[in-house]
Amino acid sequence: MERYSYLCEQSDERGFPTVNTHRVIVNRGSKLRARISYLLPLALVLAPTYSLLFSAFPVALGFQWLVLICGLFLLVLQRNGVEEEAVVVMPTFGVQLETTYFSGKVHRQFVPLKHILAAVINEAVTPTSCYYYLALLVRDDSKLILAFKEVRPPLHMLVPIWRALREAIGNK
Amino acid sequence: MSTSLPLSSSSLSQNASRQQHRVLMVSDFFYPNFGGVENHIYYLSQCLLRRGHKVVVMTHAYGGRCGVRYMTNGLKVYYVPRLPFLMQNTLPTLYGTFPIIRNILIREGITVVHGHQAFSTLCHEALLHARTMGYKVVFTDHSLYGFADLGSIHMNKVLQFTLADVHETICVSHTSKENTVLRSGLPPQKVFVIPNAVDTAMFKPNPSARPSDEVVIVVISRLVYRKGADLLVEVIPEICRLFSNVRFLVGGDGPKRVRLEEMREKHSLQERVEMLGAVPHTQVQSVLVRGHIFLNSSLTEAFCIAILEAASCGLLTVSTRVGGVPEEFHMQWKITLDVKLEK
Repeated sequence: MERYSYLCEQSDERGFPTVNTHRVIVNRGSKLRARISYLLPLALVLAPTYSLLFSAFPVALGFQWLVLICGLFLLVLQRNGVEEEAVVVMPTFGVQLETTYFSGKVHRQFVPLKHILAAVINEAVTPTSCYYYLALLVRDDSKLILAFKEVRPPLHMLVPIWRALREAIGNK
Repeated sequence: MSTSLPLSSSSLSQNASRQQHRVLMVSDFFYPNFGGVENHIYYLSQCLLRRGHKVVVMTHAYGGRCGVRYMTNGLKVYYVPRLPFLMQNTLPTLYGTFPIIRNILIREGITVVHGHQAFSTLCHEALLHARTMGYKVVFTDHSLYGFADLGSIHMNKVLQFTLADVHETICVSHTSKENTVLRSGLPPQKVFVIPNAVDTAMFKPNPSARPSDEVVIVVISRLVYRKGADLLVEVIPEICRLFSNVRFLVGGDGPKRVRLEEMREKHSLQERVEMLGAVPHTQVQSVLVRGHIFLNSSLTEAFCIAILEAASCGLLTVSTRVGGVPEEFHMQWKITLDVKLEK
């Protein structure tokens, strides 16, 4: 089963230029599995705490402490799962980068078209992996702005988005 | 009686000339580091690209140079950021490099993995993992190594493991083949000998650049112990004392350069010995054509490309008789001296 799926939406509003939204959606197994893996550390912390605090089950105390510490560890490491990431291309205005999390929170970043110099696809090499990323070169900043921060879509998904960005930037 | 050609050319069969291969060259030693192995990998890659195959090079990151770079004719180089260890090698973590190697092998669609240089830890790991995954593997050994010191003993053991399951092995000279076969326990029939070559179009003679009234001796090498820089320090004042019309041109840089400068000061040879410093490879030909004789004083050499470059430029070569040097030319092109220094 594919990890990511790609969706391209167009908004038709009369009088305005068409705004294209390129979404990359993370395919999760089922909502139930996601909910369970989210609540597991919480359960692992609460159960031993209750039994230790109120001495409800005075058996295998070492094991209960271990479960408690594991639960805390998992709780700390747990990050908000990403549901989808989107790039909204508004011709003549700019580009908006959105990240939607499982909890419902949405993080948006707008980059005005005047600031963008170019959109590039480049390869990143880390000590353990190698992947393609899509980034925007901006004026007055040496850092690249990544289009997809959390999600790593494959090259065949990045190319149409890059083309759309290039068109929008080229027609400044 | 077995011939010098290996009897089973298994993997790279007759169909190889028609089939396009995608080769991964792995070594710790590649540009911007400069040396014989690096040049060999680069020129071999260029020749393979010209024949229509695809070549990717994998090496470790050099300082800030990290990521993917493209060189001439679309040669793709991966500079992988792994921890450096000793003498340009990556830290040998047996399974640490497995994820990135597998990633590169799959995303580039590699068919043959070619490792270079026995002393490269990245090479050994890549060959091991490639073989585990069932890829075809070739290994080239470029240098001679000892048997007695600690580093060599460990490396030879690792080499035995790696070469136990390699499809083909290549050495750059017959001396190097003997050395590799003894260190790794391979049957000698399985090892190819393919000497290095120079690009003669780049190294052309130019007799008008040489002075006619004096004899100029050119030395271009890394000024390290292994390349006999100490021998140079002893030999240069002697020659200058014995022959008054001889000048030296010393190119190259290294830890022993200080000793050469000291020798120059001590014997007041500033006019007779010219120190050029590090010479970029593109300018080597222009330095070589200024001389009549090329001096190579290395203490060990599997196959000396510098001598070939000098001969291609029309110089007479004088070298220490070590390693693969005696195999390089017929007698009339070279003179070898057995040098014993009397202290």
